[in-house]
Amino acid sequence: MDDGGREVARARHCCNEIIITGAAMNSMTPKLVVEGLTHYYPDEYTGESVHALEDINLELYEGELVSVVGPSGCGKSTLLNILAGLLPYKIGTASVDGNVIHGPGPDRGVVFQEHAILPWRTVAKNIGHGLEIRRVPQAEREKRVQEFIDLVGLTGFEDKFPHELSGGMKQRCQVARTLCSDPVVMLMDEPFAAVDAQTRITLQEELNRIAMATHKTILFITHSVEEAAFLADRCLVFSARPGRLKEIVKIDIPREQRNWTNMNDNAIFISARDRILASVREEVSIAVEE
Amino acid sequence: MTTAVGNLSIAVQRRFGRQRLRKIILGSIPFAVMIAIWHANTVFDWLPPVFIPPIGDVWEAIFFLQEDCAGFVALVMLDNSCLITTHVFSSIGRVILAAIVGLPLGIAFGILCGMSRTLSKFLEPVGVFANSISGIAWIPLAIVWFGVGWVTTLFIMLNTIFWLMFFNSMLGVRSVAKVYEESVLTMGGSRWDVIKQVYLPGAMPSIITGMRMSMGFGWRALIAAEMIGGDSGLGFMIFTSAAEFKIEEVFLGVIFISIIFMATDKYLLAPLEKWTVERWGLVWRPT
Ligand SMILES: Nc1ncnc2c1ncn2[C@@H]1O[C@H](COP(=O)(O)OP(=O)(O)OP(=O)(O)O)[C@@H](O)[C@H]1O
Ligand SMILES: [Mg+2]
Repeated sequence: MDDGGREVARARHCCNEIIITGAAMNSMTPKLVVEGLTHYYPDEYTGESVHALEDINLELYEGELVSVVGPSGCGKSTLLNILAGLLPYKIGTASVDGNVIHGPGPDRGVVFQEHAILPWRTVAKNIGHGLEIRRVPQAEREKRVQEFIDLVGLTGFEDKFPHELSGGMKQRCQVARTLCSDPVVMLMDEPFAAVDAQTRITLQEELNRIAMATHKTILFITHSVEEAAFLADRCLVFSARPGRLKEIVKIDIPREQRNWTNMNDNAIFISARDRILASVREEVSIAVEE
Repeated sequence: MTTAVGNLSIAVQRRFGRQRLRKIILGSIPFAVMIAIWHANTVFDWLPPVFIPPIGDVWEAIFFLQEDCAGFVALVMLDNSCLITTHVFSSIGRVILAAIVGLPLGIAFGILCGMSRTLSKFLEPVGVFANSISGIAWIPLAIVWFGVGWVTTLFIMLNTIFWLMFFNSMLGVRSVAKVYEESVLTMGGSRWDVIKQVYLPGAMPSIITGMRMSMGFGWRALIAAEMIGGDSGLGFMIFTSAAEFKIEEVFLGVIFISIIFMATDKYLLAPLEKWTVERWGLVWRPT
């Protein structure tokens, strides 16, 4: 709040009011709602349980890209897995478009950190997989698939198998696969963590362009503060484990202005990035002390 | 003269490709050496023909055994007069039958057990038990149960094929990265989609290894079963011919067995491997 000023919203411990501010700005109903979500992992061997998430509340509005950062082990992947329906939860609620999450479903598309496209399917068949599962007629499927292949810049690689692609291309293919299924929300768990720095920058700019073109609602988990600040409309900072929503930083930069040639001179970007960084470092030092 | 040879070699290279030609030549050398030694044995009379027959005798044995064959119908009906074809086709028939029944069953149960902890707790011990007794150790019991003939030989072969296939498919499914399953589920895929699109192709390297192993061991078990518990087939032929000191027929049987097995591997299993796991980049390909 100090010098970064107006652009940076900040809250401690309780984040509800900030979320309300977000809601007031955006008078639509949220696409994704999480209320009082708490999660413990039971440990079969010791009987003790790991407290991974504590009272998470958040709302995602249509077309919004929200990033989540926090120290390693703070429960970011746990949150994403619960939202994806891959991890059952007991305390709190999570819903998409008003439907409570009970298991995986095509309304939530996931981009995994690892290479998750199927090695035995060609690029085109991977991207069209979601439509194939939903039995979309072939002609329509092929048209849609081609659209997304072009969007992520994989034109010419339609009939290649994943092992013939570079790491960055595999992640592009995964992003295209998720987009092609047209989910209500897209959940991304450190999708660019495994690619080299140069490719990563390109992929970030591409995702920004895709977010602009498709108006997808995206929850984007990352380790990189720069990445979070570059991509997000709002950035959620998690505390050390058990993960709590510590702070929400708003980054009000139009998508058209977001590219790496300008961003490093952008005052809003710099102040948001520094704010997030300071906040995360505080938590990392807590995590290390423990 | 030299140009003619040169032209011929160029034509041959065009036809097969340099790499393939190299492979064929390298692969044939050991066989050529073996045949040369075999023939040398006859020429220089190292070991008497009762132990190692001349190549010519083995060749003639084909026609001798087939001599009484009463035409095409008898041949197809596996009549005892058409000895060679009857034995060859009996063995091949059993292999095909056992493969058609045993491989899919083994794969299906293996995949199910790979997916379900409960089912695997149920079936795995039985599998370990069955595997601890090698296929041929069942022969005496099978003869008691089913008598001498088709059923016994089939049972032995099925028993060998099924469990090997079962274990390999199960391990294959367990080795498939969880994220593939999760990604299909998050796209709205059903359990069945996961089986078809993740487990089956993901376990393919293991399944193909399993097929190779089970066909190899199964074929060996079949020959053994035919020797002791069969009334036809190449194993039976080898065994009875040896008892009558018809050494050239024994040799003929052995050669047929290896040719049939090599052909199965080369024309069925290897292409399957090439079209699946190699194309998908799931196995390391030697250069
Ligand atoms: N399947 C599991 N069983 C038990 N404990 C788990 C399991 N998965 C995660 N945990 C624990 O829960 C905590 C949060 O894990 P999570 O993977 O959500 O962290 P993260 O924020 O994604 O970390 P990173 O940034 O390193 O990916 C960790 O302390 C971890 O040890
Ligand atoms: Mg994680």
